[in-house]
Parts: sequence; C-alpha cells; structure tokens
Amino acid sequence: MSDLAVSVRNLRKAFGSQVVLEDVSLEVPGGQTLALLGRNGAGKTTMIRTLLGLLPADSGTMRVAGCDPATESLELRRRVGYLAEDQSMYDWMTALELCRFLEPFYPQWDAKLADQYLERFELPRHVRIERLSKGQVVKLGLAVALAHAPQVAILDDPALGLDPVARKEFNRDLVEHLQAEGRTVIYSSHLLDEVEAVADTVAILDRGRIVRQGPPETLREEVQRIVLSKDVVRQRPAPQGLLDVRKHGESYEIVVDGAPRFIGELNAAGHSLQSTGMTLDDIFEAFVIGRPQAWREA
Amino acid sequence: MFVHIERGSSVPISRQIAEQLRSQCLSGTLIAGDKLPSVRELAQQLAVNVNTVFRIYERLAAEGLIELRHGDGTYVCPKSLKVDAQLETQRDKFGLEFDALIQQGVMLGFTANELRTRLTSALATARNSQK
Repeated sequence: MSDLAVSVRNLRKAFGSQVVLEDVSLEVPGGQTLALLGRNGAGKTTMIRTLLGLLPADSGTMRVAGCDPATESLELRRRVGYLAEDQSMYDWMTALELCRFLEPFYPQWDAKLADQYLERFELPRHVRIERLSKGQVVKLGLAVALAHAPQVAILDDPALGLDPVARKEFNRDLVEHLQAEGRTVIYSSHLLDEVEAVADTVAILDRGRIVRQGPPETLREEVQRIVLSKDVVRQRPAPQGLLDVRKHGESYEIVVDGAPRFIGELNAAGHSLQSTGMTLDDIFEAFVIGRPQAWREA
Repeated sequence: MFVHIERGSSVPISRQIAEQLRSQCLSGTLIAGDKLPSVRELAQQLAVNVNTVFRIYERLAAEGLIELRHGDGTYVCPKSLKVDAQLETQRDKFGLEFDALIQQGVMLGFTANELRTRLTSALATARNSQK
C-alpha cells in the first residue's frame, strides 16, 4: 500500500468548451494537510467535486483513500468526510435531527462519536440549523463529516464568511480533531495567511492549473521581492521563475520564484540589489496577478 | 508558556515560534527541568500544524535546548548544554544585523564594489587584531 492518501495525475475537466482543470497533478501523503488556494472561479470546487467522484473527470487518474473516484465512489464516501461549500442544507432540522437523518446513509456512522463532536463543538442539539451562527453551521458540518471516522477529510472553503475569531477557532478544530487524529486533510481557501499555520503543503490553483505547490516555508524562501536598477533589468534576460515586475522611478521591484539562485547570479555579476521576504498573501498575489512581461517592456 | 504568533507577518510562523521558545530557554523564563506542553497540546493551543510544532521541537532538541524523553514528555535542558544554541541565536542575530547594515549602505548610495572593498578591509583588520 502506498503512503499517499490522495494522488492526482494529469487531471482534466471541461464544461463544454470551457476548460476548468488542466493537467492538474498533486499528491498528499497520509496524515498531511494540503491547502488548495485560488481566487473565485480558479477551479477549487470543481477539483474537490471531481476528487469525490461527484463530477466525472475528462482524463487523468486519481486515487483518494485507496479508491478510484470514477468507479468506486460509494466506497470512497465511506472513507472520506466531505464538507461542502454550501452549508445551508436542511435549515429546518436541528443538529440532532440532522445526525439521525444522515446516520442510515453511512454504514460506519458512529452515533456516539457524532454526539461527542456536538459536545466538543458546543453545538446546541435542539435549535434549528437556520438559527445557528455561521461558525456553528461550519462546526456542525465538520461534526457530521467526521462522524463516520473517515481517513481523509475534504473541506470546501470551510472558513468562507467566518469572522476572524471563528476562523481561528476553526483552525484549532482542524488541528485538534483532524491532524492530531492522523487524518489526511484537503481544504480550499483563498486566505493564504490563514492557512500558513495549518497546512503542510499549499497548492496554488490559477485558471485551472496548479501554478505552484510546496510547504509554506519553502515558498517563503524561494519567492522573494528584489529591487534592481533599471540598467540590470535592461542588460539581463528575464530570470527563470519571474512572477511580477513593477517600476518605481529609476528602479524595478520584481518578484522571483527561485530567488536564492537569481540573487546568487546577480551577486556573482557584481550587481547591487535589495531583497525582502514576502507574506504569503503577497506571494499568492504575485502568482495569480503578477505581470512578468513588464521585464521586456523595460 | 507564552507564545505569540503574528499571522500575515513576513517572518514564517515556524521561525516565530522557534525563536520565542529559544529565547525563553536562554533568558531563563523557562528553566531547566520545566516540562513543555506536548507537541499536540502546543499545536492545539496555537492552532498550528502538528508537524510544524514537532519539527520545531526536534530542532530545539538538536540545539541542546530541550530534551524529548520518549514516552514521557519534553523538558528544558540544563544551561551547560545550551552553548550551541546560544551560538546559533547569536549567529542568526548577526545575520539579520549584517543584512540590515548592507541594506542601509545600499540606501546611502554605496555601490556593490565599494561595499565589497569595505568588507575586505574590515576582514583584514579583524584578522590582524586576532593575531
């Protein structure tokens, strides 16, 4: 058995002529947490729904918790917990009613465990879901996604719309009830600074492609902002991994993925430069809206 | 044990935590024999990835600051073992100060060659004074 809880190779998915996912590959070792990051419409939800076998892929191979989503989606649902983006379902039920309603669908449903989660998340049992706060609804979603003790949890933008306190609480729940239990987690978000503390790996999805994947710390080492003089920009070819170029008077501020090597090259050539580390939000921005072509226009 | 994390900072979270624990061990805020929270407890307390906390503990243990006693817990080491870590901290600090100094030099308009010349002469002076 492989140690990979999730592996995706060359996944492609189009709706009609619109390509939503193109050549997506990723791997998540068992027990690790992957954060899928992207702007709205980048393909995060399509990716997640394809992983769960809710949408058929056009091509590519996938294994999720040992199952092929295309052919074994029933078994997959027993091994995977899923928290959908839209949490407004069954508004008229109470938390307890929801648990009782869902129980027959899952052979491994553990009613005692479900009850423990309600307890730990301090969720009222007899209040209708429509009257719960947004944070409570997410917690309830998490409780029912975990009640059959899945190996893998897939959460679609669980922090969406939560206030900062609820987000932090959610992160804590994720660490406490998913990571510490050894579960593999894939979750999507568009708040990079928020996922840094929690994710082992981040994958940046942009217009259907994964443009970068790696541990947050590696990204911070590799992607840096460098200030250069106009002359350097004019003399040299654009470096590999150039993400963004901005002009400030006589100098240029660029963002490079692979900065340590480029800085080494510039130093060796005797050019002066300034480099600074970036926050993950800035790194994300450079990947998705950076303008590397401005190097040539210099 | 008090650790404060600044999210969205340009300093990686793992380094923020490691530095705070290190300086608490060195300054004596944490004393020899103190038991640290388990990896899991600290991860939960800070809402930080369990593997990240584990790597931080391993690193501090390798520096001789703390000791991971299998099946028992994590303890702060006696001072004598901290020399390596102290050196490590001072080197880190020196690196930051050096970078800041160079940055200042660049802003003051020194060219790379001028800075290199200065470094060479400063090195020569330092070597001479060591003899």
